[in-house]
Amino acid sequence: MVALVIALALFFDFTNGFHDTANAMATPIATGAIKAKTAVTLAAILNLVGAFLSTEVARTVSGGIIREGSDGVLITPDIIFAGLMGAILWNMITWLKGLPSSSSHALFGGLIGAAIAGIGFNSVNLETLLQKVILPAIFAPLIAGMVAYVCTRLAYALTARHDPDTGSKLIQKRGGFRTGQIFTSSLVALAHGTNDAQKTMGIITLVLIAAGTQSPGSGPQFWVIAACALAIAIGTYAGGWRIIRTMGSGLTEVKPAQGFAAETSTASAILASSHLGFALSTTQVASGSVIGSGMGRKGTTVRWNMVGKIALGWLFTLPAAGLVGALTALLVKTGVVGVVLAAVAGTAAVLLMFFYSRKSHVGHHNAVEVEEAGQAVRFAKKKALARARAQASADATAEAEANQQKDTQR
Amino acid sequence: MKWLELLTVAGATLVAAVTVVVLYSLGVRLTAIAGDVRQASPRSKRTFANICFGLCGVAVLFGLYLIIPYFSK
Repeated sequence: MVALVIALALFFDFTNGFHDTANAMATPIATGAIKAKTAVTLAAILNLVGAFLSTEVARTVSGGIIREGSDGVLITPDIIFAGLMGAILWNMITWLKGLPSSSSHALFGGLIGAAIAGIGFNSVNLETLLQKVILPAIFAPLIAGMVAYVCTRLAYALTARHDPDTGSKLIQKRGGFRTGQIFTSSLVALAHGTNDAQKTMGIITLVLIAAGTQSPGSGPQFWVIAACALAIAIGTYAGGWRIIRTMGSGLTEVKPAQGFAAETSTASAILASSHLGFALSTTQVASGSVIGSGMGRKGTTVRWNMVGKIALGWLFTLPAAGLVGALTALLVKTGVVGVVLAAVAGTAAVLLMFFYSRKSHVGHHNAVEVEEAGQAVRFAKKKALARARAQASADATAEAEANQQKDTQR
Repeated sequence: MKWLELLTVAGATLVAAVTVVVLYSLGVRLTAIAGDVRQASPRSKRTFANICFGLCGVAVLFGLYLIIPYFSK
């Protein structure tokens, strides 16, 4: 049972990785800042590094919602098994639909459902649930969205260039933001690694303690850290292209300055929240940022029906994962046959969804279409500038008039 | 309920993100000006732009310093 739970936990880590690649890498891929393949590789490496950097969060994230300890109930491997099953299945479904949804909420949902079915209603701490899951779910996108809105406005206001004489627009030259995006998205990926790999580490450690192979209160062992880091990195590298498509081009059209603002907001929100102890979901922060930056740039529209779909997905995350978790917990309760049945059914469901996904393949080649267009524009501008410069230096005085005309035209 | 913490997080997010974005935008803008066809002092503009990018980098490094518990302990 313990081995089964560890395998399942690592698989959850894998789904978590590919589910959340989009948070960091969707906008730079959409603007053409990084090539799709390079982006996921970078994110995978940073996730790996991030997972090793910190093991502080390991238990604080999942702790507290289910009453543990002397006055509460003991979390058994059975319940964790059921909870993980719920979380994995929900992650797969949302991936199939291309919806960015919080992996940690799926995990919470699964565990809660399993605990209710396996132990009873009183095992769930409602106040902690409200404080740790429901309120952050409302405020994470709101905070990130507002900050991203302000940042996008600022970025565009500061880089808007007008000819002082005529007031007409000059070339805006915002290409520098594309380079900046590489750094901000890397920061998001790193922060994700330090946050999300921890949850799985915490769970495996919990199982090991429950099984009696590890002393209570000790931190995660090295092989657990290494395995979780690897699982999330491989998952990230696999890339949830469907979700990247949604985040990169489904919500709103993303331009470099806008993407930069969105990622900066995401990174600062995650860092601020994890540093100040009010955990916010990476996915929800990132989605909020993209929407906020879309509202901040003039001439873009936010596709509100897509936003609605995502919000609906978030609303269902907890109950749906909980339902699967509860069903699995009931199955597991019946004994060994139930465990085998649950494991087989879960594997079958995952495989089914995987094969279903092959029908309409979304990969790095077709996740986001705007990439080529973005780069073409960039090259054209560079060439135009080089031409103008050569001309100006060759015959500055004689051509001054012509150049001025050119400038105003641009 | 942890309303105060929520406010702190919101405030910190806003301040951090705005700082980075403003610095980077200034950098981009100054680079753009320095790269104009006719420009009086591209050298100094470029220097200022690099200072902006540098400060931005420092802000990001500070963020890293905060998330890696190895340093903050």
